[in-house]
Amino acid sequence: MTYDLDKGTPGSRGMEEEMVSKTTSSTNGGSGVSRRSLIQGIGAAGIGAATASLAPRAWAQARAPVNLSFWTFENPQQRPWLHKRVKLFMEQNPTVKVDFQFFPFGDLGKKLSVGFATGTAPDGFVSQDWFMPTWFAKDLLAPLDVQRLGYPSVKAFSDDFAQAFVAGATKDGKVYGYPLWFYGFCNYLNTNQFKEVGLDAEKDWPKTWDQLGEVAKRLTVKSGERFTRQGFKFAMHAAQWTMIQFNPILVQHGGQWFDASGKCTINNAAGVKAMTVRASIARTYGAEDPADSIATAPLPQMDWLRERASMFFCHPIPLQAIASQNQKMLKEGYFRPVQYPGVEPGKGISTTYGFNLVVNARAPKEKQEVLHDLYKFIMSDLVDAWNDTAPFTYARKSGWTDNPEVRKFPNIDEIIKATNQGVYLPRTIVYNELADAVHRGVQRIMLNRADIKPTLDEIAAEVDRATEASKRG
Amino acid sequence: MAGRSTSGEIAAGDAAYARPAARPFWRLHFQRRITLWGIGFVLPTILFFAVFKFGPMVWAIELSFTSYDMVSMPAFVGLDNYRKLLADPVFRESLVNTLVYIAGSTILITVASLGLALAINTRVPGARYCMMAMFLTNLMPIIAVCLVWRFLLHPFGLITQLLQPFGIDRVDWLTSQSTAMPAIIAVTAWRFAPYFMVVFLAGLLAIPKDYYEAAEIDGAGGLLRFRHVTLPLLLPTIFFVVVISALLSARIFLMPYIMTGGGPGNATRVLSMLIYETGFSYMKMGEAAAISVVLFAIMLVFTMLQMRLFMRGERVHG
Repeated sequence: MTYDLDKGTPGSRGMEEEMVSKTTSSTNGGSGVSRRSLIQGIGAAGIGAATASLAPRAWAQARAPVNLSFWTFENPQQRPWLHKRVKLFMEQNPTVKVDFQFFPFGDLGKKLSVGFATGTAPDGFVSQDWFMPTWFAKDLLAPLDVQRLGYPSVKAFSDDFAQAFVAGATKDGKVYGYPLWFYGFCNYLNTNQFKEVGLDAEKDWPKTWDQLGEVAKRLTVKSGERFTRQGFKFAMHAAQWTMIQFNPILVQHGGQWFDASGKCTINNAAGVKAMTVRASIARTYGAEDPADSIATAPLPQMDWLRERASMFFCHPIPLQAIASQNQKMLKEGYFRPVQYPGVEPGKGISTTYGFNLVVNARAPKEKQEVLHDLYKFIMSDLVDAWNDTAPFTYARKSGWTDNPEVRKFPNIDEIIKATNQGVYLPRTIVYNELADAVHRGVQRIMLNRADIKPTLDEIAAEVDRATEASKRG
Repeated sequence: MAGRSTSGEIAAGDAAYARPAARPFWRLHFQRRITLWGIGFVLPTILFFAVFKFGPMVWAIELSFTSYDMVSMPAFVGLDNYRKLLADPVFRESLVNTLVYIAGSTILITVASLGLALAINTRVPGARYCMMAMFLTNLMPIIAVCLVWRFLLHPFGLITQLLQPFGIDRVDWLTSQSTAMPAIIAVTAWRFAPYFMVVFLAGLLAIPKDYYEAAEIDGAGGLLRFRHVTLPLLLPTIFFVVVISALLSARIFLMPYIMTGGGPGNATRVLSMLIYETGFSYMKMGEAAAISVVLFAIMLVFTMLQMRLFMRGERVHG
């Protein structure tokens, strides 16, 4: 662990502080300052100043007790690993206390908004990348000192991470987020069910949207009107999942969320085509029942895990998640992730997104410094992170991809490929309004068979109203 | 008094009687002291309401005329937030949903709880145990209630299975725009009707037996006795139940939030949900405050209307 090397001694700046504080307390004590103690103090301060240049990465926490608050989202693998790293940091730096709190994935953004409004926002937190424009618009984040994070310059920092991801955390040449996890979505197949209907998952996995419909139809099993098995399943339980799954379909069909003037263009021809494709699995191929699902917010892939659906678009699924719901599937290994279907074969791309470690602009300077040290420590051992949170991949290019532990993970190349060629969610300050409007529209189209074009018109109008309101302030 | 003449004492007494000695300013009249003590006792409550109830209400009204993102200072925008609401179809739909929900759940709760109370009041064996069992629905945590009902109302869930003998194989209770709101209203009634049943039961027990005996002697059957004795004498209780259940319904949040998330589409989004989303998800606290003022106005109008009816009922039957 690189951190151990760095930690070593409390640091010269700490010593300097200590000596100065000794001098001060002696003065305040009222007993007067003897010439001897004054000379001792000045001497110690001099030594401290001299050694400071030798060890620039001093640990702020060695100076005085620091209490930090840190928030993240709940996930059965990611949250415990983060917590472990934070605890380890506290053990190694006894003067630092971190109040570690976590919230459901979908609630974290709201909790943070309320926290900022009431002055109870944490000093540091994990931010989903699509919220960065919101924090930027309100100047809520502090720029990161990349040198304190161990990089000589902003360029060196940016070069060490996926470019487009860092771009989403950069404003006016300053970096505001330390990228953590970053991953793309894959199409997860149940290879046993493929075999059952005479398909070879290795060769016959759907490469185009039409193929997705055809293969899903073949995999579907019905008993009367009721699906015993859905060939494919789109998530319907949360706005965020609606966005993640629809985003690449829209982009692949030449659509975009907004035009250059900021007007929502989901209702143009490309948007209509994309939504028609989205709806076709149920409407044309009859391969899914949008109302029949046992998915929940913590486990959106539940239908696939319980083998009620043969294919599902999902982020990298940890083996522990499979084990928790379907031991047989894990033991026999009859699953595999493949790339998204494309408009043309081999051109399938999915949504990619990630998380940043960020610092509250309102946190005192001293806390901001300690948070830098904490983040550096958290990110100092990505192989440890991989061991606990695989197969969630990272935005950082160095320090993990070639490790044997990573390489031996099943289908790791597919997972990394999906990340590298993915498209981002729209970066807009009205993201929540957009996601809610799209989710409502998809519900109307899929559950109540509403017409696609008028529904998309309604979504666009709703988003444009939100954008206008935001512009007005 | 020793050493003073009797006449002197009388004179002094007269003088005291005729012109009472000036009372020190801190010694107040008895009535005024009582008043001050009274004020002293109620002051903490008044302060509590002023600070924690009316203060925030006034602040919310003030906020509704501002643009406030919860981070920067609120900026005065006049009636802009209200104008935006009028032009917003999501708000209009949510307003209609709220009114439908209030009306539906109030009627269903009142009818169901009165029916249950009448059934329990027949004093059949085991009625008390039935009442206790029904009241348990009020003791269950609302989150658990909503989650259980979400599973029960799955298109192929237990409720649908109960309907299979009637040839119904599938009902999209919570995922169809036409059934989602009625389903939530039904769950609301299931939750709250037993509570109001107890209120009705108290009202029924307060009706003197003589009235029923007299009606029976006059040849009135069960239905006539209910119509001409029970119903009129129960009117104050009915008004009370209607007012309270309507107010409870107007503030409903968790049930649609957990069971449908406001969907499908916008079918079950009520104003309290919209306030939450607008304020905390979109960080538009000014608009959220404007919606809450609208909701407050609805509740106020409704309450005043009901109170008027209630007072009239009291005058007629009091």
